[in-house]
Amino acid sequence: SSSMASAATPKYNSRSLENDSIRRSSRDGFTRDLCEEIPRLPGETRITDKEVIYICPFNGPIKGRVYITNYRLYLRSFETDSGALLDIPLGVIARVEKMGGASSRGENSYGLDITCKDMRNLRFALKQEGHSRRDIFEVLTKYAFPRSHGLPLFAFLNEEKFPENGWMVYNPIEEYRRQGLPNDQWRVSFVNKRFEMCETYPSILVVPYHSTDDDLRKVATFRSRNRIPVLSWIHPENKNVIMRCSQPLVGMGGKRNKDDEKYLDIIREANGQISKLAIFDARPSVNAVANKATGGGYESDDVYHNAEIFFLDIHNIHVMRESLRKLKDIVYPNVEESHWLSSLESTHWLEHVKFVLTGAIQVADKVASGRSSVLVHCSDGWDRTAQLTSLAMLILVYCLITACVNCTVFKLESNTSPCFFQRIGHGEKNHADTDRSPIFLQFMDCVWQMSKQFPTAFEFNEQFLITILDNLYSCRFGTFLFNSEYAREKEKVMMKTLSLWSMINSDKGKYTNPFYTKELNRALYPVASMRHLELWVNYYIRWNTRMRQQQPDPVEQRYMELLALRDEYVKRLEEMKMTNSAKLTSPSASSSAPSQMMPHVQTHF
Amino acid sequence: MFSLKPPRPTFKSYLLPPAPPPQDEDRSIPEPKIKKLDPVLLPGEIVVNEVNFVRKCIATDTSQYDLWGKLICSNFKISFITDDPMPFQKFHYTNLLLGEHDVPLTCIEQIVTVNDNKRKQKILGPNQKLKFNPTELIIYCKDFRIVRFRFDEAGPESAKKVCLAIAHYSQPTDLQLLFAFEYVGEKYHNTAKNINGIDSGSGGIPGGNSQKTPLFETFSDWDREIKRTGASEWRVCSINEGYMISTCLPEYFVVPSSLADQDLKLYSHSVFGRRMPLWCWNHSNGSALIRMALIKDVLQQKKIDQRICTAITKSHPQRSDVYKSDLDKNLPSIQEIQAAFVKLKQLCVDEPYEETEVKWLSSLENTRWLEYVRAFLKYSAELVYVLESKHLSVILREEEGRDLSCFVASLIQVMLDPHFRTITGFQSLIQKEWVMAGYRFLDRCNHLNRSAKESPLFLLFLDSIWQLLEQYPAAFEFSETYLMLLYDSTRISLFGTFLFNSPHQRVKQSTEFAISKNIQLGDEKGLKFPSVWDWSLQFAAKDRTLFNNPLYIGKSAPCVQNGSVKSFKRTKKNYSTNYTLHSRHR
Repeated sequence: SSSMASAATPKYNSRSLENDSIRRSSRDGFTRDLCEEIPRLPGETRITDKEVIYICPFNGPIKGRVYITNYRLYLRSFETDSGALLDIPLGVIARVEKMGGASSRGENSYGLDITCKDMRNLRFALKQEGHSRRDIFEVLTKYAFPRSHGLPLFAFLNEEKFPENGWMVYNPIEEYRRQGLPNDQWRVSFVNKRFEMCETYPSILVVPYHSTDDDLRKVATFRSRNRIPVLSWIHPENKNVIMRCSQPLVGMGGKRNKDDEKYLDIIREANGQISKLAIFDARPSVNAVANKATGGGYESDDVYHNAEIFFLDIHNIHVMRESLRKLKDIVYPNVEESHWLSSLESTHWLEHVKFVLTGAIQVADKVASGRSSVLVHCSDGWDRTAQLTSLAMLILVYCLITACVNCTVFKLESNTSPCFFQRIGHGEKNHADTDRSPIFLQFMDCVWQMSKQFPTAFEFNEQFLITILDNLYSCRFGTFLFNSEYAREKEKVMMKTLSLWSMINSDKGKYTNPFYTKELNRALYPVASMRHLELWVNYYIRWNTRMRQQQPDPVEQRYMELLALRDEYVKRLEEMKMTNSAKLTSPSASSSAPSQMMPHVQTHF
Repeated sequence: MFSLKPPRPTFKSYLLPPAPPPQDEDRSIPEPKIKKLDPVLLPGEIVVNEVNFVRKCIATDTSQYDLWGKLICSNFKISFITDDPMPFQKFHYTNLLLGEHDVPLTCIEQIVTVNDNKRKQKILGPNQKLKFNPTELIIYCKDFRIVRFRFDEAGPESAKKVCLAIAHYSQPTDLQLLFAFEYVGEKYHNTAKNINGIDSGSGGIPGGNSQKTPLFETFSDWDREIKRTGASEWRVCSINEGYMISTCLPEYFVVPSSLADQDLKLYSHSVFGRRMPLWCWNHSNGSALIRMALIKDVLQQKKIDQRICTAITKSHPQRSDVYKSDLDKNLPSIQEIQAAFVKLKQLCVDEPYEETEVKWLSSLENTRWLEYVRAFLKYSAELVYVLESKHLSVILREEEGRDLSCFVASLIQVMLDPHFRTITGFQSLIQKEWVMAGYRFLDRCNHLNRSAKESPLFLLFLDSIWQLLEQYPAAFEFSETYLMLLYDSTRISLFGTFLFNSPHQRVKQSTEFAISKNIQLGDEKGLKFPSVWDWSLQFAAKDRTLFNNPLYIGKSAPCVQNGSVKSFKRTKKNYSTNYTLHSRHR
């Protein structure tokens, strides 16, 4: 019966066939002239190409030609005329390795093994004679890891033009003003204007009105990497706040710092509450204790009398990285069939997602309940802390976020979360770097889980999340390239590169959730239970052609058709207005407003 | 749960303002109401027993949401009547036959009585004695619900009587004691009057759609289905009129044109249940789907098999071969499915939430329920491939041909024919492949609580349809809500649809009943029970709109016509991996 089943699968299913002309021309047979026709972005240059055998894990070996530019790896098959078999930004590549030696025997045993950051591996077999792989290996290594070879990242070479400027999307002062800040309890501080207090913090910080810049500098000495508690978000009604910071430098000796203690008290009192300040330490309590050995620790209640600490049991980046590796093992290239659910359970990936969501719910609930303000930290306050504060805000103010698809939250949090992107390792060779971790991916998974549970609450769709994740690695945009505002300013990112939001905002329809219904001020508490969490199959298992749903998705297709139809009607309306105004006739155009045209749309289908 | 001991109301408490609650602070006990609370009864429904001042427990960990009211046992349901509003709004629809707190007797699985002063507990069977006065009644329902009542303020004797009545009436010894008989009998007695505005007995009208569901009780329904599918070499056969040949087949069914009645009669003696080959459906390429029981007569086996296959081949426009599929060998048995269901229920109902949470996925896997869902989907998808791409007719073979065949035959048709993804089409499919084909609803749903033959095959089928709905959200006219309410309807013993083991049983039992009750049947073959498909009996038009899937792209939509959604062929490989991923159980 298995042979029966396989016969129905299409030979392969290629992704991203944006360029139709290529498909057509390649039918005429393969000539070197066509090389020029591989899709290229403005600023993208071709480096080399090579005949290879692509060892497809789903359809076996496929002969073709691989093209390498300074931006992408592109593979076209000799056998079929379906355009790109692979079209991968080089930034996605985590590691390039040689497999087999000059004397290796066996079919397709000599070639290259490429590990990608997006849950897949690629394998190419090459001809053994004449060190044929040396060149391609060197080119790949050089352009996939430009920073290790003194070359600029592609984002700095990209000459694309978009009608929208995504760099204008986020303006911290505007953002704070929208939250009603500064006010009589909170002020904007420029103590970090030139990043002199903390290199990994942005230049503009919101801090308690009653703390002077001097106080802040003193507190900074007692917080890991000088990351003092700063305001992330203020509740519009009860004025409770979400603060974020790094761990206090308590150490084995149980050091104290009067300034820090006073500072937390000022935060607690800022909203006029008498209850204790809730401190959420993202770590498991054992880890928090263990951190004392390296000079860190947590706020114990015998020192911080007016605070209450809760541990959220979220594990560190190393645990997360290992969990994702296990997940990859069970989904790529083959999906573990016989014990799928227990295999999935043993990766603990969903369990980690659950803990992050649970933590965010607790933070959000504390703030929303109006009982007290919240302080969130982990060790350095940039991985788990960023996840928690971003998600808590997503729970509480999702309507604000979705109001501008550009995800203020992502910007806001990435600004204060340096290591979000160090975790990716852009353009660097060091694949074993222990600081690389899927923290941002995990955050996006949490967002996806929420969008599954509240299908009408988010203005963006799944494609939006996947596009962000893909461009997190692609190095096409400057948005995710550096770890802090300081680094971004130093590299002049906003001047020299494009923002991902430029691309996304220029084609919003593609990323819009057709089921989105605007609601005001309803907090969304997801159910963080293993009974409700699902594996994000469309992301983690998207390379497996067998997992793909019927293509194209009829709902999506229908939505696109309706959008196209709307555009057509709007166009026609404009034309009618033009002719009408040209003729200077009576105003009849108003009767054909788009909303009134909609009933007619139905008859077309 | 035994720790909840609210103070008994004393004389004092009625005269003075309520004293502050002792000990536990967050517990506030509303004063019992003395107001008269009347049950809503259906025609033929009578109150057997009732008890007042009952507390219905809502939350497991606190009594603050408890409701006060009267607990009633009728011959149809247990009813809890209260003036208190539900603390949590749960459903968007109201069942016209059942109140929010009602449980139909046929939905009751187990009745547990508890006396927490004496620390005693007893599972109540029918006709049993109860030596203690219960302080608590826990009802485990077949639909995974657990309903708890407390009798701390109720009269101990009446509480006991109600418990015993529920135990007695929910476990009847005879089919004719099920409420449907009483109800339909009442209806016949009052033919002049139109009871409750209900006119029943036919296919009914699904929400928003004026089409009637064909019941496949008549010659013409089958004839129309032949014409609809273009099965020109097949004919309706009426040798089973009056159930003269087989008591587990419908009176009319479809056979190859080349098989004569005489031959069929002859062969029927060698087959289990005298079940001759039944045509199910024709593909537009001419391939047919047929189901039949095994041939038990070993000597005749080869010969009869040969003749039937030849006849099926002759009915194929390309004279293609027949692909024989032995369901018993390729799919889990009904016993295995029942075992999986019991485990699933344990996991979802019995075990503590926090403990199961940690090992949820592997525990779910261990129940094997999803594995079985997958097995049916995968196997059916393979047969779809044979029918559609190999152009072969498929014959489903199973010992009696009354269990797995129903499932596989219907699943294949849902996958291949968009008609069966509409509400009317889906209902006609259930009539055709389950109700008329002799699926033992009475035994498998265990309406008489005799448990030995119980198996949730129909639920497994609906689950697999739900999986398809998840994967193809635009391909079905009906919604998840529809599937849930359809399954709930199997637990309401008012409809004839899911009450019997075969159409013959309905005729036989209801004729007996009619005679004993002096009901004149006239020309009718047995009593006409209301049909589940007459959804207006259960739901108002507004609620029935929830049956419709808003994402459904009807047959007229272009992307369906262009072939990508038309059949499931291209994506059948999905089944090999996808099902286990859908672990959501709501």
